[in-house]
Amino acid sequence: MKPLLDNKTISLIVTKDCQLRCKYCYFIGKNSQEKMSFDIAKSAIDYIIDNESLFPEKRVFWEFIGGEPMLEVKLIDSICDYITEQTYIKGHKWFCSNHFTIATNGINYGTKDVQKFISKHNHNLSIAITIDGTRIKHDMNRIYKNGRGSYDTILKNIPLWLSQFPDVGTKVTISSQDIPYIKDSVLHIFSLGIKTVHINCVFENVWVNGDAELFQEQLIQLADSMIDNELYEDYYCSFWDERFIGKPIDWRKDPSNWCGSGNMLSVDASGNFYPCNRFTQFSLRDKNARIIGNVNDGINLNYLRPFLCLDKFTQSNQECLNCEVASGCAWCQGENFDVADTPTIYQRSTAICEMHKARVRANNYYWNKLYRKLELEGKREEFEKNKKDFNIGTTC
Amino acid sequence: MMQYLIVLLDDAAASYCHYSVNKPIRPIELDTLRRAIRYAMMENLMIQFVYPEKQIQEDLRVEIETIDHHKLMPVSYSDYNQADVLLYKSIKEWLHDDKEKSESICVVCTDKYSMFAQSEEISKALNTQKRLNFIMTDIDTFTDDDFTQYKSVLEQWSNTINLSFKKGKILQFNLLTDRLFLSKMNNCQAGVSNITLAPNGHFYVCPAFYYEDETNDIGNLSSGVTMNNAQLFKLDYSPLCRHCDAYQCCRCVWLNKRTTLEVNIPSHEQCVVAHLERNASRKLLNSIRISSTFIPEQQIKEIEYLDPFEILGENQTFK
Repeated sequence: MKPLLDNKTISLIVTKDCQLRCKYCYFIGKNSQEKMSFDIAKSAIDYIIDNESLFPEKRVFWEFIGGEPMLEVKLIDSICDYITEQTYIKGHKWFCSNHFTIATNGINYGTKDVQKFISKHNHNLSIAITIDGTRIKHDMNRIYKNGRGSYDTILKNIPLWLSQFPDVGTKVTISSQDIPYIKDSVLHIFSLGIKTVHINCVFENVWVNGDAELFQEQLIQLADSMIDNELYEDYYCSFWDERFIGKPIDWRKDPSNWCGSGNMLSVDASGNFYPCNRFTQFSLRDKNARIIGNVNDGINLNYLRPFLCLDKFTQSNQECLNCEVASGCAWCQGENFDVADTPTIYQRSTAICEMHKARVRANNYYWNKLYRKLELEGKREEFEKNKKDFNIGTTC
Repeated sequence: MMQYLIVLLDDAAASYCHYSVNKPIRPIELDTLRRAIRYAMMENLMIQFVYPEKQIQEDLRVEIETIDHHKLMPVSYSDYNQADVLLYKSIKEWLHDDKEKSESICVVCTDKYSMFAQSEEISKALNTQKRLNFIMTDIDTFTDDDFTQYKSVLEQWSNTINLSFKKGKILQFNLLTDRLFLSKMNNCQAGVSNITLAPNGHFYVCPAFYYEDETNDIGNLSSGVTMNNAQLFKLDYSPLCRHCDAYQCCRCVWLNKRTTLEVNIPSHEQCVVAHLERNASRKLLNSIRISSTFIPEQQIKEIEYLDPFEILGENQTFK
């Protein structure tokens, strides 16, 4: 198989348990029973390492997810050891590029077990703590089972995390009810010392009339604050992108799919393979899980084909294909599948359309305002020369 | 554009394609048939009636004649001589059938091993037929060894057809000669130019969808056809097929759904089988041209892949 990307992301769903019950979380079947056994993890890793031709990518990210993955940090530690050992013993090309990534809610970040794990693997480990912004916004969604907010617990661990992973950003998810807090939340995250904020609207159809206008206004206010306070030099917010947002797309010349499902591989506690986490049963509301194999039989390549064949034309409606601001409009293949009229991954959900257009207008405002300011100050040339080349970042 | 309505006259109507019939005898009701004919007339559809082995009732027989149509009949049907298309459920049945059928269109359903095992006999019998369609019912089980064997039997049959051409007789055998004459895709078109009406009065993309799951209907005679994502059945919406030149491929959307879970994406096995046929047709064309000028405008270019998925990256841009 020819690689479409240089990097492979392999997700191991180590647990379906979590201390939190975030209101927007797309994992809808959380439980404390389904935990990955080490034997299943070993079988998955053996299959992947022994079938190198199916995984031609140069580098690999081994991602541990949940639920809350840090609940199973001892298991993760054993899995990381096994991956390192087996890629070395078998002379696998990934031995030098194995990288472990974890996105955690940060609740048990400071515990002895987690800290021991970090000190052991810190040479090839990235950990991101997700914090949604101000206390109000964070606690609005990120709550414990008893309804209590998790902000205070997580905040305590931020300084330690930043001292260990200063370059890793955080990821913020926006749903309808927290739109009024976007500006304050992003600025609050910056004030904590977190310099990179990946932020996106949920793909689910949660939006109501007036959300797009409110969203646009929040983004304009954020733009004003970031520019007036000159935060643009050292801080990054993924709302702002000069090159890739809000342009028409010639889908004849650039047919590529937005979503990376199919180029990723996800493994659950039963040893089933999925094109990404979003196709597991506990992430789907209305459709059956889309399993593409298992650790015993391997990947059914026929089940994988539709994911690797996805292009813009085949799944988009005419309005999307003709859209003047199409670039940067994201979609999640799993959400598309879940809301499609038939059990297909080839029907793109447009729930996010108005939110994307609002973001495009705010993004245009940001760059026009910023460049005008820099020109008036005679600093534009210097800014362009020195500006950091951030990529768009993750959207799911 | 919808052009054909396939009407199953009985739940046990003979199979003419990849699917198997798994229901007991249950004739279509006269009222359902009348409404189907009325629907076809109003929608300008040509009906293709598919018959069971058991003789149909007289009232149905009379009703059928009220509309222009085609008859697809199992060869064991008592009035088989009225058939526009004769259906055989095995190669054995076709080879051993001593009825006069040289002017008939024959559809033979077969599994791969019967076809490989009887390739010699098939080769000899090709000459006896005006038009022959082989339908393999187990394409999804093809292995690399099967591909090798299939390539070999196609070459064997190709020699027979070439010899026949030299003698001035043009044979029509779907696996080898269709591609010689095609300049664009000529696929099954289920869901695009034809739909199926089952005896229960519901529409299906094709009979295979009915026999797989009766709840898979796309409407009924009262509501009409209500297909969601109908565009996915069209050629342009298949990222692999829209660039492909294995024009003779049946491009079975039911097999697609079964093997890849998407109606618009063919399996590796379906693609390789179609490309083995395409490449064999190319060789046949070149062989025929050694001794005669034969459809000079036709070009089947040499390609290095058997599965268009192998060149997906290069081929994904839309032409």
